Amino acid sequence: MKILIKSATIVNSKNTILADILIENGRIAKLDRNIKENADREIDAKDKFVLPGLIDLHAHLRTPGREDEEDLISGSCSAAKGGFTTILCMPNTNPCIDNEGVVEWIREESQKIGIVDIIPIGAITKERKGKELSEFGVLKKAGCLALSDDSDSIDDSYLFRRALEYAKMFNLLIISHCEDKNLSSQGAMRESLISAKYGMSSIPDIAETIRVFRDIEIAKYVNTKLHLAHISCKKSIELIRREKETFPYLTCETSPHYFILTVEDVEKSNFHANFKVNPPLGERNDVEEIRKAIKEGVIDCIATDHAPHSFAEKEAPFENAPFGFVGLELAFSLTYTYLVREKIISFNQLVEKLSYNPANILGLKDRGEIRKDAIADLIIVDVNKSWQVISKNLVSKSKNTPFLNSELMGLVELTIHQGKIVYEKPFFPSIDLSSGE
Amino acid sequence: MVEWTKKHILEIKDLTRQEMEVVFNLASSFKEVSQREVKKTPALRGKTVVNLFFENSTRTRTSFELAAKRLSADVLNFSSSTSSISKGESVVDTIKNLESYHPDILIIRIDTSACLKNFLNYTKASIINAGDGKNEHPTQALLDMFTVKEVKGKLENLNVLIVGDIMHSRVCRSNIFGFQKFSSKVRVCGPPAFIPFEFEKLGVDVFYDLDKAIEEVDVIIMLRIQRERQNLAYFSTLREYVENFSLTPQRLKRAKRDCIVMHPGPVNWDVEISSTLKDELHPLILKQVENGLAIRMAVLYLVGAEKRERKTLRK
Repeated sequence: MKILIKSATIVNSKNTILADILIENGRIAKLDRNIKENADREIDAKDKFVLPGLIDLHAHLRTPGREDEEDLISGSCSAAKGGFTTILCMPNTNPCIDNEGVVEWIREESQKIGIVDIIPIGAITKERKGKELSEFGVLKKAGCLALSDDSDSIDDSYLFRRALEYAKMFNLLIISHCEDKNLSSQGAMRESLISAKYGMSSIPDIAETIRVFRDIEIAKYVNTKLHLAHISCKKSIELIRREKETFPYLTCETSPHYFILTVEDVEKSNFHANFKVNPPLGERNDVEEIRKAIKEGVIDCIATDHAPHSFAEKEAPFENAPFGFVGLELAFSLTYTYLVREKIISFNQLVEKLSYNPANILGLKDRGEIRKDAIADLIIVDVNKSWQVISKNLVSKSKNTPFLNSELMGLVELTIHQGKIVYEKPFFPSIDLSSGE
Repeated sequence: MVEWTKKHILEIKDLTRQEMEVVFNLASSFKEVSQREVKKTPALRGKTVVNLFFENSTRTRTSFELAAKRLSADVLNFSSSTSSISKGESVVDTIKNLESYHPDILIIRIDTSACLKNFLNYTKASIINAGDGKNEHPTQALLDMFTVKEVKGKLENLNVLIVGDIMHSRVCRSNIFGFQKFSSKVRVCGPPAFIPFEFEKLGVDVFYDLDKAIEEVDVIIMLRIQRERQNLAYFSTLREYVENFSLTPQRLKRAKRDCIVMHPGPVNWDVEISSTLKDELHPLILKQVENGLAIRMAVLYLVGAEKRERKTLRK
């Protein structure tokens, strides 16, 4: 299938160009002014922007194990609708992604669905128990590019050192969720005046920062790459900013809610569990620092931390409910609305954070940028259109987001994955599922 | 007298000083009812009150139960240990289930903080907070303040000291917000781990030394210590806790001469309070229990009785 996109304003991380794009055999065949070619489909992208497909380093697809919350089809659709063409899924599944069988199964099933590229993140330790290393080489051969124990930070510093050393041999990326669980002691929200006022069990920001420090020190000692997941507080940023000056193998991400929401929003929601996330939402100065760090490049990328939970689970009292928000369908619009429109970052920087840098961190040279010969993963967005975040507009099986009932700017209208249109608002042509709009 | 408009009693944070005064005035009248031969008024006849206790409690539950019965309401007692919660039913589903009976008032005790406002989406009934996690216990604070008002004749410009496990105490939080609304000053005293983050920003003075904290105070509220906190290193040994934070006759002498001492109960004698003070202090603590009944009758009446009836009572 040949697709010709006419009059595209192409936004890459480093440049913005006006050109036509010819897609053939799943690749970008030509990139030029006024391409004259007979295509199976011609798309007029006038007044719209064409971006490289977004890449998410941090999603939870709940499969296998909790297919009632998300499965590979709904997760793929949710990703494509949000403009993502490559997503990494965390191993907190049941069974855990700690062996080649589960990795291969997810790869094969998601390829059959064919909507986005799903790359499983293998567990660092067997069953994520923090005791025994899983088989890194086997996981890599099966298709993993990165390893993480997800929400269970490895408490044993000896084992974490060995994991980084072993990962170095296979050139695998270790993604660390930084949390000292003794300090966070089953808290539900950030320790703050608001938690004190309502007697809400709380997590101090140092629970993150202390683990950030340890992880960086071990990575420096081993001299290998390390990626820090969902950084949420000012103290961690200050540390990362300093360390990045001398240690080039360190990268990190944040998630949209950390540059938008604060503990005050938790209070305003009357402590609705849709505002409960780990790490927890911080103070205004954390939000300001994260925005600054994104702008400066201290934060390399924006990941969704897409965490679907059933309605019943999120109906529970705040202290009892599970952590996490869905984010695949929101991340682009949230970043556009709160960072680009508010002139904190440029549109090119948005592409850098949501596509170019994640590709680089994973060592994926064939995506993250619209250029000749790259994989034809790209999206067409209309930044002048707004949309309402309401349950029926979300194709994820779960609707747990603190942004319900808000209006966001920037709409993904079309998603092309490996040269195939996988989402064309409101339809997913390859499957019988409309986005419900 | 101000018109009562609140449908729920969720937090002292939400109540005005005037509203609390309405509760106190009404409690005085109900106290008189409890001293009669026939201790019953028909104010809530035909109304259904559910005691919905997701956390164990005997004292608060019986106090509410008796209060509702003295107002002639039909009372349904629900406690989690004997209910479908133990079969895995969620809290929200339990509320939805009870809603089918069209209850008028739900009195809820639960172990999770600040969760009641979200429950309002699932019921048309009035909700009275009987203790939500570590957040608030509004009727306890109202009865504490009512007791102070009875003894001192006022609630304004007092120095109130609360001692013990401030962190985990819903009684403490409710009392802080309550007394502050009457322009009284609140001090808290306990080991640092029991003092919540940035707590002084709530306008309270924080002390770690009980001998200093107790100087010039008019009212002392001693909080119950849960012995299992020791295992979580909030303090070292009970012996050392007692040495530093137990109320002894020597310490009490440092307070104002007419200082009163209260305790939400049940008291661990010789832990929070030295038993040598028992004869002196126990009567007021028991008076708190009596006042608790009157306060609970008052709040049940205010949220449950028809407006028409509320007016007749005032005359």
